[in-house]
Amino acid sequence: MNHAAANAVGNKSEITDSEFVRFRDFFYRKTGIRFDDNKRYFVDKRLLDRMEKTNHESFRSYFTELRFQASGEELQQLINAMTVNETYFFREEYQLECMVESVLDEIVRLKGKNKTIRIWSIPSSTGEEPYSIALYLLEKWPMIDEVDVEIISSDIDTKVLERCRQGIYNERSVHNLPKDLLNRYFKPTSGGKFYQINQDLRESIDFTKVNLADPVQTRPYRDFDLIFCRNLLIYFDDASRRQAADVFFDALNPGGYIFLGHSESMSRISSLYKVRKFPKAISYQKPFV
Amino acid sequence: MKKILIVDDAVTVRMYHRQLMESMGFEVTEAENGIEALEKGIGEDFDLFLVDVNMPKKDGYRLVEEMRQVPELQAIPVMMISTEEDDLDKQKAYMAGANFYIVKPAKPDEL
Amino acid sequence: MALKKTTEPQRIADQEKRHETRDYDGLVKELTAESINERRWAARDLAAYPQAVPVLLQALRDEQELVVQKAMLDALEAIGGEPVVTGLIPLLRSEQAALRNGVIEALASMPEAVALHIIELLNDQDSDVRIFAIDILQLLAHPDTPKWLLSVLKDETHINVVAAAVDRLAEVGTPEMVEEILSLKQRFPDEPYLHFAVDTAVQRIRGD
Repeated sequence: MNHAAANAVGNKSEITDSEFVRFRDFFYRKTGIRFDDNKRYFVDKRLLDRMEKTNHESFRSYFTELRFQASGEELQQLINAMTVNETYFFREEYQLECMVESVLDEIVRLKGKNKTIRIWSIPSSTGEEPYSIALYLLEKWPMIDEVDVEIISSDIDTKVLERCRQGIYNERSVHNLPKDLLNRYFKPTSGGKFYQINQDLRESIDFTKVNLADPVQTRPYRDFDLIFCRNLLIYFDDASRRQAADVFFDALNPGGYIFLGHSESMSRISSLYKVRKFPKAISYQKPFV
Repeated sequence: MKKILIVDDAVTVRMYHRQLMESMGFEVTEAENGIEALEKGIGEDFDLFLVDVNMPKKDGYRLVEEMRQVPELQAIPVMMISTEEDDLDKQKAYMAGANFYIVKPAKPDEL
Repeated sequence: MALKKTTEPQRIADQEKRHETRDYDGLVKELTAESINERRWAARDLAAYPQAVPVLLQALRDEQELVVQKAMLDALEAIGGEPVVTGLIPLLRSEQAALRNGVIEALASMPEAVALHIIELLNDQDSDVRIFAIDILQLLAHPDTPKWLLSVLKDETHINVVAAAVDRLAEVGTPEMVEEILSLKQRFPDEPYLHFAVDTAVQRIRGD
């Protein structure tokens, strides 16, 4: 196809190479996510889809809206479309590994074994993340028998918190769990189609309702050693993201750590934290002073 | 192959230096600001950091200062590039821990 | 099992309790408190008081701690508006790179207010300030951005300012600007980076 001719009529059935790089570099600057050439199909498809939904005939006019829209709404929509958001047990496992292999040991070195370690997992969503943290601690952290750990998990949605407390999951949620773990900590229900996590674990996590944007609600959250906030901030606008980073900063003890999602980075959010790179993962640390 | 990390918030600056350095046989990684530079640079055996002074979130001086505090990055040479020309900035750069300082845009022979 | 559930209700730290009873005057006083956290929290809470703009700007000038500077900038950004913009612009001349960059980011979040000043900044005597204005344009969500960048090309003689503008135009330039951008190659014949930037910008603007 003759690209020049296609562009002259604002052909909306394909994205040219130049349009792709223009978009890619903009998206990279805003989110830190960089799409390689091998992601062309993935990206182009979603761009064309957003173009259609926003009634833009050409990439050029769509990009103009994207770039100059003060509210940043379309960018948020686009981020939604470009990121895969699903939850299941042991998702982004390398961070759980990092927790038990590196981060917790550092925290114990700081606090001593007699102090309780406090972990905040937010958003809890349907509970896969906080329960994954608990399972990893029980199964993979040698010091779990000597050190007390408290897990608090929060969400803005009370319906979802209720599901957390019930702890019932389908095949998809548990597909990444080793069979012996599944058997040890879950009981099949509803004729074997679902699994319920055992009562001890359900009772060991404190599920709370919190709206991160509300300072009155977040103020009591203090003295945490480790925070998991994965795949939430990417869906916030710039100001809300910064504000959340602030909330977490105050929630952490000096020297405390926070994990963000796989494609998220403090480099696009806040300069408050120190970058700490461990063998399995990057974490962000609240400075000591 | 020698590895270089280019840190600059302007995309064409990164692209230009990438072309230059790749033609000289370097393997190039890019970062858009100082925080990303630390994420990509720690523990990765870079031979040189090419750092812009003025970047959002974490500027070049802070980046270099922090690099000198991270054991894995202490020994990596840093070349700072900037649009500013006065001696005060050069001094700041060396005090922060840079090894070289050049004024943007980099001419090929300077590198 | 050493997974422990807390039985005590989330406790509010004593410092935080004090915060809830602070009023405007109390907050202003705490902007110069000894403790970094207190200054940071005071700045954050002053975001709710538009009348705090002058006192925040003054405190910002004197503040050495980066995390407190950031909190003050965030508060000013949250308040927004013309007084904030006119108050922040002089700080573009600061010696501190971190403060300048913070100011650039804050200004970039206020497109309507900044629009009234951008031409002036693009014509500032100091070439660095002109470059910072172009840095603001990299982030600014205002539809006149391409037009403003083009105006830089027409009158500017400083190579670094021109180069910065071209870099921005690679993202937001429009087809009718191509000729002007290409002409830079003749105006600045011996500048390989600029030529590279021009070629990149033109290629992306043409979109093929």
